[in-house]
Amino acid sequence: MWTKPWNMREGFLLGGGLLLVGLLLQVTLGPIDWSLPAWPVNLVLLIFLLVVIGVMYALRRKVYAFEWMMHSGAAVPCLVYAAGLTVLMGLLPQVRMGGVPWLSQMLQFWPFVLIWTWMMVISALAALNHLLRWKVKEIPFILNHLGVVVAIVAATLGSADMQTLQLTAFTGEAEWRAVDETGRMVEPGIAIELRQFTMEEYPDHSPKRFASDVTVYTKDGKNVSGIVEVNKPLKVNGWKIYQYGYDVMRGSNSSYSVFQLVRDPWILWVYIGIFMMLAGALCLMFFMAPKPVKS
Amino acid sequence: MSWDSFVWFALGAVLLWAAGAFFAWKERKALVYVCTLAGIAVFFAFILGMWISLERPPLRTMGETRLWYSFFLPVAGIIVYSRWRYKWILSFSTLLSLVFICVNLFKPGIHSKSLMPALQSPWFAPHVIVYMFSYALLGAATVMAIYMLIKKKSTEKEINLTDNLVYVGLAFLTFGMLFGALWAKEAWGTYWTWDPKETWAAATWLCYLVYLHLRKAKPGEWKFACIILLVSFVCLQICWWGINYLPSAQGLSVHTY
Repeated sequence: MWTKPWNMREGFLLGGGLLLVGLLLQVTLGPIDWSLPAWPVNLVLLIFLLVVIGVMYALRRKVYAFEWMMHSGAAVPCLVYAAGLTVLMGLLPQVRMGGVPWLSQMLQFWPFVLIWTWMMVISALAALNHLLRWKVKEIPFILNHLGVVVAIVAATLGSADMQTLQLTAFTGEAEWRAVDETGRMVEPGIAIELRQFTMEEYPDHSPKRFASDVTVYTKDGKNVSGIVEVNKPLKVNGWKIYQYGYDVMRGSNSSYSVFQLVRDPWILWVYIGIFMMLAGALCLMFFMAPKPVKS
Repeated sequence: MSWDSFVWFALGAVLLWAAGAFFAWKERKALVYVCTLAGIAVFFAFILGMWISLERPPLRTMGETRLWYSFFLPVAGIIVYSRWRYKWILSFSTLLSLVFICVNLFKPGIHSKSLMPALQSPWFAPHVIVYMFSYALLGAATVMAIYMLIKKKSTEKEINLTDNLVYVGLAFLTFGMLFGALWAKEAWGTYWTWDPKETWAAATWLCYLVYLHLRKAKPGEWKFACIILLVSFVCLQICWWGINYLPSAQGLSVHTY
């Protein structure tokens, strides 16, 4: 133990230490409030994270732990802890309040977040290590390790900047007001006028298709007409407008349509990460899998 | 095409697959391919028929996902056979496929025509089909792990096959998960909500990542790696259908079917 080279044992201990630190933070600071890292706090956190990773990489020859973190032996314990906590999260009902103390609000639970952060740090270090000794054959490794970091870091840090509003538009009236998740009135800067709501049903009266023919007005004087339906959102001025609901009692005669408005400034980075991971998965299949052995 | 004619197509396909498996033991390569591929074609003809008559891809109900699973097992089997020449693999894939066919014959589930608007998306088919193919490959990897654990020894060829099944299976698992995320963004505005199905998908994905990294870190620890595969497969089963029986997921998941 603790003699070089380190392997998995040290990783399990370090992970255990991280869990303890997490528990201490949980007790002293309480659950994580994910609305806090809103812009520009998330930018500061991102820069801090990048600097930490850069410094760790630069000091890898001086501090053995940083060197060790880039190897698969360090990844195993980290992934085991992450998988274990995620399984716990799947077993216990996740509720806003109550439930099992701490574990029923796993996303606000410090140890869970610290373990996932650790995973991001070692994945980023490993990616950086392969990136800086650039060779074409390193591309699959970089895509997989950097892709997951870009997607998860952007998704997590960006979550506080994501706005989700609900807007109810009646036929023939332009509606400028929406409500946010807490029920507060918000003006998104666009207005939606419902021109016509259409709905088709299956013979058993379950909905087959519902759609809203709308005109969207913007503060800067644009007006955009289009159809919003499930799986086919409309994009206007940075907002994505989703078909959300209608007057269920009146069905196709509904005089209003409910829309969900989503603005997610970090989405581009999440998509970049996801597409890197998709390319990485293709590489996993074609380049990273060991060559078949035939007897 | 209706569910009533399933028994005839299934019978035809299973007989052809069994013939293929038989010829694999007899080392008649050409006949192995002809029979197995013919069986796959017969089975796919039924899926296509269902697709046309339901006016939607047959992917919505649990029974319909089992249909694809029974289809992909022999597909995975013939791919493994063509690369590793295992004589037993086609017997195994045929048998397992037969189990799922029987489940569907005795408990077909609901197969109505209606497809709720959220499922009417070009992402629907790739999301589920890719997942089912991945489940078939990872199922085969699990059988390899059990086989090696019972035998208490392993050959280089067996470990190599298991690794390959996991690499390709994990690649498809990643496709399934990310297609789901891209679809969710178009349907609901968020790509990941930690819905119970998503949580279990993440747990399963992480477990298979443990396997990959463990194989790199400690190539000699094949027993530990095999146990990880068993745990991973349990997670996968919970993600696929076990979730319907978990109290934590009741009424919370958008993936109820």
